[in-house]
Amino acid sequence: MSQVKVERGDTVLEARGITKRFPGVVANDHIDFEIKAGEIHAILGENGAGKTTLMKILFGEYQPDEGEIYIAGKPVNFRSCLDAIDRGIGMVHQHRKLVPAHSVIENIILGHPRAGKILNIKRAENEINELCQKYGFNIDLKAKVWQLSEGEKQIVEILKALYRGAEILILDEPTSALAPTETEKLLESIEAMAKDDLSIVPFITHKLAIVLAISDRVTVLRRGKVVSTVDTTEATERSLAMEMVGREVIFRLKRTEVEKGETILEVENLSALSDKDILALNGVSFSISEGEIFGIAGIAGNGQNELVEVLAGLRDLERGKIRLDGQDITQKTALERWKLGIGYIPSDRIHVGSIADFSLVENTTMNYYFDGDYQLQGSLDYEKIRALTEEIIAEYDVQTPGPETTAKSLSGGNLQKLILARVLSRKPRLVIAHLPTQGLDIGATEFVRNKLMEAKKDKTGILLISEDLDEVLSLSDRVAPIYEGKFMDIIPGEQVKRESVGAMCAGIYLDEDEP
Amino acid sequence: MRVGSYEFKLAKRESLTGWRAASISILAIFVALILFSFIFIFAGINPLTAYSEIFDYAFRNQFGLPLTLNRFIFLLLCTCAFIVPYRAGLWNIGMTGQFYVGSLAAYGVLFVFGIGGASETNYSAWLLLPLMLIAAALGGAFLGSIAGFLKGRFNINEIVVTMMLNFITFWLVSFFIKEGGLFMNPGGRGESFELPNSLRAPVFMDVPFTIIIAIGAAVLLYYMFARTKFGYQIRAFGKNPDAASYAGISKFKIPFLVFVIGGALAGIAGYHYFAAVPGVYKIARNYGTFGDLAFYGIICGLISQGNPLAAIPIAFLFGGLSIGGRNVQGKLGMSFGVDFALLGVLMITLVAFQFFYRYKIVWTKVTKESLDVGISN
Repeated sequence: MSQVKVERGDTVLEARGITKRFPGVVANDHIDFEIKAGEIHAILGENGAGKTTLMKILFGEYQPDEGEIYIAGKPVNFRSCLDAIDRGIGMVHQHRKLVPAHSVIENIILGHPRAGKILNIKRAENEINELCQKYGFNIDLKAKVWQLSEGEKQIVEILKALYRGAEILILDEPTSALAPTETEKLLESIEAMAKDDLSIVPFITHKLAIVLAISDRVTVLRRGKVVSTVDTTEATERSLAMEMVGREVIFRLKRTEVEKGETILEVENLSALSDKDILALNGVSFSISEGEIFGIAGIAGNGQNELVEVLAGLRDLERGKIRLDGQDITQKTALERWKLGIGYIPSDRIHVGSIADFSLVENTTMNYYFDGDYQLQGSLDYEKIRALTEEIIAEYDVQTPGPETTAKSLSGGNLQKLILARVLSRKPRLVIAHLPTQGLDIGATEFVRNKLMEAKKDKTGILLISEDLDEVLSLSDRVAPIYEGKFMDIIPGEQVKRESVGAMCAGIYLDEDEP
Repeated sequence: MRVGSYEFKLAKRESLTGWRAASISILAIFVALILFSFIFIFAGINPLTAYSEIFDYAFRNQFGLPLTLNRFIFLLLCTCAFIVPYRAGLWNIGMTGQFYVGSLAAYGVLFVFGIGGASETNYSAWLLLPLMLIAAALGGAFLGSIAGFLKGRFNINEIVVTMMLNFITFWLVSFFIKEGGLFMNPGGRGESFELPNSLRAPVFMDVPFTIIIAIGAAVLLYYMFARTKFGYQIRAFGKNPDAASYAGISKFKIPFLVFVIGGALAGIAGYHYFAAVPGVYKIARNYGTFGDLAFYGIICGLISQGNPLAAIPIAFLFGGLSIGGRNVQGKLGMSFGVDFALLGVLMITLVAFQFFYRYKIVWTKVTKESLDVGISN
């Protein structure tokens, strides 16, 4: 715990020139940043802008390559989270770090220095109850954590941090998993903490409206750099969106114009639940024609996963209709859809798109085992599949010792090439490409995009879902920004404005786009 | 570690050939026999005498070898019953129960035809033998399908379900064969009525035709996994269920079908032991002992790493040692349980040696210079 008594408005934490590099990327590039006592300081940025890295550095999870951190004016050097906790920093992660089988109170005191020797549950209970009353948290301390909702689990994490004496509380995407009422309550508690106790609450989110409503200052990050730090009173949703997305000229991949053919896919009013039984996809309608790339832009977790899985036949839908070439496929299984010509490139290429322990031949088999042309007297014709795999390796330049190598020995880019080749070699009517270039280096990214373009020329319809705005905008013939399970709009490629799409992905319309 | 001027290190294996795996297993068997020889030494028996007795009786004696083969058939069927779900990433702990229900179903055929307890029958063996065999398979498959259905439909843990069914079916057999049960022996005695003489399974040199089924099943399964579409689907599901459903492989069909197949094989083991092995021909009073033996299917399946062909020699070895061990126990006047102790030591050693499937020991000769450096450090 920090020993210096702070006054409201003092600078309690300062970061100067923080730089953190990972192989191939600079996640944080000379970031300067400060937090004042009693302040709610939001940090805003797209995926990959470096928010999480910065927070992990402040919390001691990562060590910066360059730069210093000062707490109450004194330089500190965090070797681990424990050092940061001891200096009064608390962090609530986006992914919960609790013991599900234990009660709330047991989770809160777990790791507390006093809990190491003799447990005095009664005393802890009183102290925690006091905290709850002060900040308006309503939670049953005796309940087991697995029984709690996401919002309640988050409260447990906040209480845990406060009980450890946190004076700077870092919340990573605090509202992303919450229901609207839970969000409201949480925001009230956050305001209470900031006002009442000089607790200091940085806040990270994409949701601009919430940022504006609650925070005192906003720092916007883009590509690892601080774009600006402004008082919230001087900011508008529009200005923040523009800073977040950036206005620089986009490198546009030359989009080949292909004459649109017949409609391949028609989706009507599609709704689906997420794994948590929340309505994640809420009445989406669109169609895709031959030779068209239909792009869906959006921040992760706005219903893209659910949409893709429903289309691939891997998730039940609540409402709606899907037609492929005029045929209703709403009730068809995943296998039937493969046979009808839907090719699906999943976002998780390691755990869904491939089988790590299988050879490349066996991985190619994933999309061919059901194909009569690759069977011989009731058995799989592995010789033929091997020949196909060798063709794929040669044509797509997959770097591997040979087709008998296991998939786990391939690098991410090479694995993606294999999956892409496997799917495209079936000459599908429709390709669903979910984050096809995520995590790939520039060369592999270019390759994948070119192959999608080639498929488009062959009259394949392509559904492209990406979080990379530049990618969606430069490849797509039409763009649909998705936000909270709904399309904000469907915009023809030539009319797309980057700022508008970026803003819509955050749930707002810039003035001229108001529908 | 350094011994003399050699440096020993553990290194991860890049790949493992079948022959290498086999030689590691054979080495493990020798180590197990050496370890177990201490038991004989403590009992004042020369281990070499003991082992020659065991192996002679199990694999060369005219009375012992058929016993070994009968037990081998039983173990191989149980091992295959374990392997099929195992390749789909699922654990069949219920060979025991499937074996019981298979036995009951086989005798149920006789009951239905009204020849329960009769010593002769006019029905043709060509009709009833296949019927008994099919009934045994269906009975085991039915029990297996319960676990498979619950797993596929509701994702209920298959280990718990199969294990619990073992207990239920144990008492079910008791209910049928003990006094007052439908299949009770007219003379009481807590065992089932006997098989009519004309329905005894064809036997060649004291070994019933079920040996063809057992070995045939192992070979067919091997082929199925290596070459067929269904085998591919099972393996894909076993290695990565999410990737399998991505590829359109049903999350319900695979668990359901592997348990149906596994259950059927264990059910046939029931037919084998109680209707085909010479000298038994009834559901014996001590049927629980055979039920326990069915668990060795798990051991053999794990040691063979899910390879049905590798299961053949392993089941043969375990069958032989359990027979030879029991014999030497009586012959040399040792205390009870030598056979199971021997199987236990063998099992632990084989499993422990699987470490070498993933790692190997490499050694390099340490040069004079580096030794000097080592000292100066």
